[in-house]
Parts: sequence; structure tokens; C-alpha cells
Amino acid sequence: MKSLLAGAAIALAGMTGAVMADGHANYPERPIMMMVSYGAGGATDFQARIVTMTAGNEDALGMPIAIINKPGAGGRVGWNWLAGQAEADGYTLGAYNIPHFIAQSIKGGVQYSRDSFEPIANWGADPAVLVVGADSAFNTLEDVVSFAKENPGKLTTSGAGLFVGHHIAALQMEKAGDMKMAYIPTKGGGAAAMKAVIAGDVMAGINNLSDAFRAREAGNVKILAVADLERNAFLPDVPTMMEAGLDVDNSSVNFRGVMVPKGTPQGIIDKLAETVPTMFENSRVAGKMKAGGSPMHVMTRDEVLDMWAAREETLKELLAGL
Amino acid sequence: MSAPSLPRLQHIVGSGIVAAVGVVVAYISYTQQPSEAFLFPRLIATVFVVLALWTFAKACLGWTKVGNGISGRQFANLLPGLVVALIYIFWAAKGVGFYTATTIAFFILLSLYDPAPHMALKSWVKRIIITAGFMAVMYGLFAKLLNVYTPREVFF
Amino acid sequence: MEFLFYMGDVFTPINFGLLLLGTIGGLILGATPGLSPTMAVALLIPFTFQLEAAQGLILLGAAYTSTVAGGAVSAILLKIPGAPANIATTLDGHTMAQKGQGAKALQISFLASAVGGVFGVLLLIFLTPVLAQWALAFGPSHLFWLAILGVTVIGSLDSKSVVKGLLSGCIGLWLATIGFDDIMGAQRFIFHPALGGGINIIAALIGLFAIPQVITMFAKGRHNDGAEVIKVQKHPISGAFRELMRSKRALGIGTATGSIIGLIPGVGGQIAGLVAYDQSKKFSPDREKFGTGHSEGVIAAESANNAMVGPSLVPLLTLSIPGSPTAAVLLGGLLIHGIFPGSDLFDNHPDVAWTFINSMLIGQILMCIFGLYVAGLAARVAQVPQSVMAAVVLGLAVFGSYSVQSSMGDVYVMASLGVMMYFLERFGFSAAPLVLGLILGPIAEANFIQGSMIANATDGMAPYFLGGRLNILLIGVVVASILYSGYMELRTRRYTSKEEIIA
Repeated sequence: MKSLLAGAAIALAGMTGAVMADGHANYPERPIMMMVSYGAGGATDFQARIVTMTAGNEDALGMPIAIINKPGAGGRVGWNWLAGQAEADGYTLGAYNIPHFIAQSIKGGVQYSRDSFEPIANWGADPAVLVVGADSAFNTLEDVVSFAKENPGKLTTSGAGLFVGHHIAALQMEKAGDMKMAYIPTKGGGAAAMKAVIAGDVMAGINNLSDAFRAREAGNVKILAVADLERNAFLPDVPTMMEAGLDVDNSSVNFRGVMVPKGTPQGIIDKLAETVPTMFENSRVAGKMKAGGSPMHVMTRDEVLDMWAAREETLKELLAGL
Repeated sequence: MSAPSLPRLQHIVGSGIVAAVGVVVAYISYTQQPSEAFLFPRLIATVFVVLALWTFAKACLGWTKVGNGISGRQFANLLPGLVVALIYIFWAAKGVGFYTATTIAFFILLSLYDPAPHMALKSWVKRIIITAGFMAVMYGLFAKLLNVYTPREVFF
Repeated sequence: MEFLFYMGDVFTPINFGLLLLGTIGGLILGATPGLSPTMAVALLIPFTFQLEAAQGLILLGAAYTSTVAGGAVSAILLKIPGAPANIATTLDGHTMAQKGQGAKALQISFLASAVGGVFGVLLLIFLTPVLAQWALAFGPSHLFWLAILGVTVIGSLDSKSVVKGLLSGCIGLWLATIGFDDIMGAQRFIFHPALGGGINIIAALIGLFAIPQVITMFAKGRHNDGAEVIKVQKHPISGAFRELMRSKRALGIGTATGSIIGLIPGVGGQIAGLVAYDQSKKFSPDREKFGTGHSEGVIAAESANNAMVGPSLVPLLTLSIPGSPTAAVLLGGLLIHGIFPGSDLFDNHPDVAWTFINSMLIGQILMCIFGLYVAGLAARVAQVPQSVMAAVVLGLAVFGSYSVQSSMGDVYVMASLGVMMYFLERFGFSAAPLVLGLILGPIAEANFIQGSMIANATDGMAPYFLGGRLNILLIGVVVASILYSGYMELRTRRYTSKEEIIA
């Protein structure tokens, strides 16, 4: 029935055949959906909603983007769905989190890999930071490292899940400091991991810079170090891990952006790759992102392709010993 | 003891299926890896199997106290509706689109279970009006107000 | 008393208009089977982008408050809870509706909701700093014991047979483990790709409650045989009010339980109604009337699930920690305007904070007024012909479960669970304990695993899970709950006679 109707549709569209053949001149013709593999209200969801809010403008896509949340298992549920069950028709986008999905695909047990998706553009880069409770005895990264060295496996450190950016940062810290921490993955993402730190359930935590910045503003935590190559504009007073003496690079920085499942028509990918970065650069979007404490970092499709490849290589090396 | 009554036979079959599911679940829980991830399922499955076997035993002995089973007439009544509903949900909703499938299924179900006589023209008109009204509300609520994009194949 | 200073802001034309819109819209969405509060609130986010901070929050807050109360409407009239919070309401509420007391049940439920809701918001206004410390006191070990406390309720909940109640709970607990394990990321029991994301609780709720209702209506057949036409009794509001005043115990237990449980991040309001229902049943002298259309059951459940609304926002507003999915969505509504919950909110944007909180207070009252107004009308739903009702509920179930995550898989899961539940119900199993298992399973598991990881790194399992005042208190409550249920079971062995089996 479906093919019969499709045949009828093609016959009907005969007159406008040129447009159809060319592909996707009219794309998008209806609202687009973007899958976020974390819950509503989480950092990724919040930012995804802001950066897509101008999609309906005439100078952007001209059609709104609706956010659909498919949370679970550190993002695995959503990305599995996007790779396996989503229709690659250009009307289903997905938000990616690097290094999360690449690290998970390296560890296995999922139906996706770097090749399952085509990047469109990157909107943000949220470094992992080391936080401790406001009343913690730790005041610097050195305090934490020396405690971890004296008490191997006793430093309980919360993070959003296994093989997400926070976990990668913890693994890098362990490697760089030649120490053993007790990494505690939480269910419920960064918010639950932050709650564990504030409530004193754990001694330290690794969390998103954007969430940690907010928690520090509220007077609940101390931020000891940033796992990035340079200090962040939001936290000019917080040293990088390297400055503080731990050789941790930016592999754990949480890059967020838009991708589509493999098999999406090239014409649509090109059109999105051209339009979406300009949409991110809209001044209203930038203003809202800054107000929400979310660092932006716009990258085009080609830059993201390189970044994905580079990340995969470093992560393979880092995770090889595990 | 007389021959098992129909409800009792049904209880035996019903609790037997539940017990079989319990055994399968327990088997999977205890054989799958990694074992840390299956710690909880093992715990649950163990209790599940014990309770399910207990219920099964009670059903076989005719000690079951609650649940009336399904009478033949009830089953005959529900069967056509169930078949329409299952075709609608598992095939038509995706196959011909949500709104088309819902319109057709809604109308069929209405006609199947409406006590009004099938020969009277008036009752057919009434059913068409109800169907149209319901679909208008659904379209307004989901497509317009809530912006949910449902699968569409035919018409809308 | 700072909140009184900003009370006037609620009544500016735009703010009050939004409050009305949010309340009425929320009631309607909440009363629609298949739409959950979190979903209703999430769907409103795009609108709040266009509004000022205080206005956006008023809309979200009003919608949150009234969808929770609105969920009681379909719970009572159709036995389809709008959200997990309303499950307990079905137990007595629907039985009342079947007896023609739908209007009374709705009136009582709205009044109880308003009392609980106002109390919860007042707690939020006056005791926020104290409550924030409380909310933080619950670590993984305490949440684990709390989930176990919930499990002890399973056996005695809406089931004439304790064994089958427990077995239903076990099926629920097992269903909850399907999909990716949340902490380790291992795949469990994924028999079909539709199960890859696990069983969505809202889709499951729709399936387990709505589909058996639909099939039951089918089973009554075309000629209305056996289907009694329900005569909806009119019921004066003053009567409902007196009834509420007579049931101070249920109201008090519901409100207190809801306030305390609502406060705890991660457990949220999902189980508040059920625990309150169970507690007031245990403390009531008429406990055998529970489940047979007893108004105390409705009062306890509904006062609890609205009392939880105010306290559930405490961790968000003071500590910037969203304790529930709905609170997380509200957080987004604040952040988008550059307002950070916590000291920033109360020091630098007191107008936003207090206008929001005040609007929830007024919203509770508005919700009650509108609810009472439509109760008599809504109760007539019971008179809609079975054939129409079955088709309407089926359609809503399909659309509702699809729109949770725009996923066909959820619709298949909904339908499969629903058909299974219909047959299980025929054999004495029931949906409420099954859903409770489905809700509690992940909470118990994740907190146990997380707690044991912390315990292994620090003091060891026994001191971590069994030590500390709060742990001991919770364990005490769990043990008391089990002993009490066992005692009651022995004293009043519930059974139905042989004749009923044959009938």
C-alpha cells in the first residue's frame, strides 16, 4: 500500500519533478525534530533548546525544531535509537556529546560508532571541572591528589555516568597522577552527581563547567580545576589541571552539537551544514547562552569531522588499557 | 473432586504462563554477563519464580480464591474489538498514518459496539459525526496545540 | 513575610491571565488520559522563551500544580491515572464513580488537593532553608531504604490476594530492569528493538490502566448486557467540605506524607500518593472499607500528591538541584532568563521568586474553584456510551503514548503491556502494585549500586547501609510496616467465597 501510494505521489509530482530530482530545494517543509539523549532540563537539553529556538526564522531554516528527549544509560538509549531506528529523512536530527558517544562505542555494547552519524555543526564546549563541597577540607587540586595518593581507591568522586566526559576526565586524572580514585557514576546525569557533592555523599565530583559555575554562584561548591588547555572565560580564577600539576588535556571537554543519522540525503546535510552554524551565531542565542552560564563554541561540519576523528584516536589510546 | 471448572482451567493456564515467564527470566538472569549488572534481576527473578510457582501450585490444587477468568461470551464479545485494536496499533498506525488509521479504527469500533440498530441510517450518521468530532479534537490537541509530529502516510 | 510584599504582582492583568490560562489548560491536559505533568510542562517551554521570567514561571508553575490535580479526574472517572502520582486515587476514586458518586469523589479530591497544595506551598514559603538541609540528608543508602519501604506497600495494595499482589510487584520490578542498565550501561532483556530504551513509565502507565479498561468495555458486548447505566448522583459542595472535615486523619497523614516525600530529590511525587494511601489505611479504624469506594482513600492520595508540589521545588530553588523531571524543566525556564536558582534568585530577583511562589499559592485555590465547578459536569463522563468511551480511550492511549518520546516503540510497549494486564487482571493480579514495582525498581537498584560503590571505597557495606540515625529510622519504619501488614493479614484473612469464583 505504501509503495503504491508513493508511486501515485511520484506521478502526481511529475510536473515539479525537477525540484524533486534536485533533491531538497524545499527542505524543510515541515517541523524538524531533534533528539537529545539526556533528560529535559539537563545541560544538553537546555542548551539544545536555546540554540534551536531561532530555527523557525526566515533567515534560518524557516521551520521550528522540536526537542525530543530519550534519556537513559548515559546517552546510550538515545544514540542507539538515532543510529538504528530513526528515519534518515532529514527531519530527524540528534544532539551529540563528544567524548561520550565515541567513548561508549569504543567500549562496545552499543549499536553505533562514529560512522553511524554525520555531523552538522558544533554549538558548545563545556569542560569538565573538579568540584568539592563548599565546606570541604580540600582547597586545591594538590590537596585532592595528595589525598588520593595516600588513600588509594578511597577518594569518592561522582560523575554523570560511565564513559561520559566526566569519567574520561577521572580516568585521565588517575593516569596523570598515577593514583586510584573511586569514581561513582550516578543515575540522573550531572544534576544528581552535583547533588552528591553538595550533600557530602561523595568527597569530590567531576561535573560540567556550566552546572558547576551555577552551583558556585549559589555558594554550594568550590571549583578546584578545569580539565581544558586554557582557563575558561566564566572562571578566570580557576587553574587548568595542567597548571595545577596534573597532565590532563582537553580530551574530556564536552562538545555539543547537531548530527544526523547516516543515510540522510547529502543535499539536506549540505543545506543544514550551511544554515545551522549561522543559526548558532544569532545574537539572541548567544545572549541566552551566556546568561545561562553555557560556554559557546561554534564549529562547522568540516571542523567537527576533524575533531571527531582526533577524539576517537585519543580515546582509543586512553581506553586501551581498561 | 469433580472435573475442573472453566475458571479453574483458565487459572492453571494463566498462572502456568506467568510461572514459565518467571523461569525464563530467572534463566536469563543467571546466565547473562556481566554478572554485576544482573545482580538485581537475579534477586527479583528468584522471588518472582518462587511466587509464580506457588500461585501455579495453588491454581492446580484449585485453591485460587480471586479472579473470575473469562467466560466464553465475554471472550466472543471482546475478540473482534481486540483484533481491530491490535491491527490498528501494530500495523495501521504506522502503515497508513496516525490520523487515517485512528479515524478508521475509531469508526469500526464504534459500529461494532454501538447498541443502536445497524439498519437505521440515523445511527450511521450519528457515528460519523462522533468520529469526525473526535478526530477534530485529536488533531487540534496533538498536531496544533502540542506540536506532536505523528507518522503520516495517507492524507494527514 | 516577604512573600506578602510581592502578592500584588500576581494580580497584574497579564500575570493573572497567565495564571488562569495555566490553571485551566493544566486541568484539561492533566485530565486527558495519556498526558503527564512533565510532558505538559515541557511542551510549554517554548512559550516561556517569549515571556518575561516571572511570567514564564507563573505559566509553568500553574500548569504543574493543576496537571497534578487534573490527573485525578481521569483516575476517578476512567480508572486511568494521569500520572504516576494519581495511581492511588484510582483505588477508591474509581470505585466511588462506579457507584454513581463521581461528582462527590471529584469534589473531595479537589478540596483535598487544595488543602495539601496550600500547605505544601506554605512550607516552601516559610521553611525553605530548613527543608533544604532535609532534602540533602537523603543519600543513596537512605533512598534505597525508602524504595524498600515502598516495596513493603506492594503486597497490601489493591489486591485481594497478598501473593498475587507481591507477584504483580515482582513483574513490575522485573519489567523495570529491561533495557540499558543505567549505571553500568549493560543491556538487559532486550527481546525487541522497541525495548532498547527500557519501558517508559508513562507509556506503561497508559497501557496498564487504559487498555484493560478498553477491553473490559469490549467484553460487555454490543447489546449493553451487563453494562449498567450509571446514575450520577448530584452532590452539594458543602457536603464534600463536611466530608473532608470529618476525615482529618486521612487529610493530615496525606498532607504530611506528601510534604516529606516530595522533598526528597529523585523519589519525588511518584510514590507520595501510594505511601500516604497505605499509611492512612493502616491508621484508619475503617481500614476494611479502603478499596471499596471510601472517601478517605481519595483524600489521603490527593492531598499527598499536591502537598508534594511545593516541597519538591525546595532543592531547586535553594540549591539549584532539580529534584524531579518537572523541576528540571522549571530550572530551564529560569536559566533562559539568566537567573540562577539559589541565593542569586532570592537576593537579586526576589520579585521573580516570590511572584512565582505566590502564584502557586493562588493557583492551588483557583485550581480548586475550577475543579469544583466542573466536577458535576465531568462526572457525567460516566454516562458516555461504552462503545464511544472504548474508542476514545483507545485513540488517546495511542496518541498519548506516542507523544511521550515520539516513538512507535512506546506505543507497542503500551499495547503489549495493556493486553497482558487485561488477562492478568482476570486472574486476580492488579495494575497498581505492578506499576509501583516499575517505579521503585530503578530507584532501589541505582541507589543500592551507587551506595555499595561508595561503601566499598569508604566504611564498608554494613556501616554505610545500616549506620546513622536516618538509616536506622527508615529501617525501623520498614520493619514496622512489614510486621503490621503481616499482623493485619493474619487477623482479617481476606478471601472471596467459592461462589464468586464460579460467577
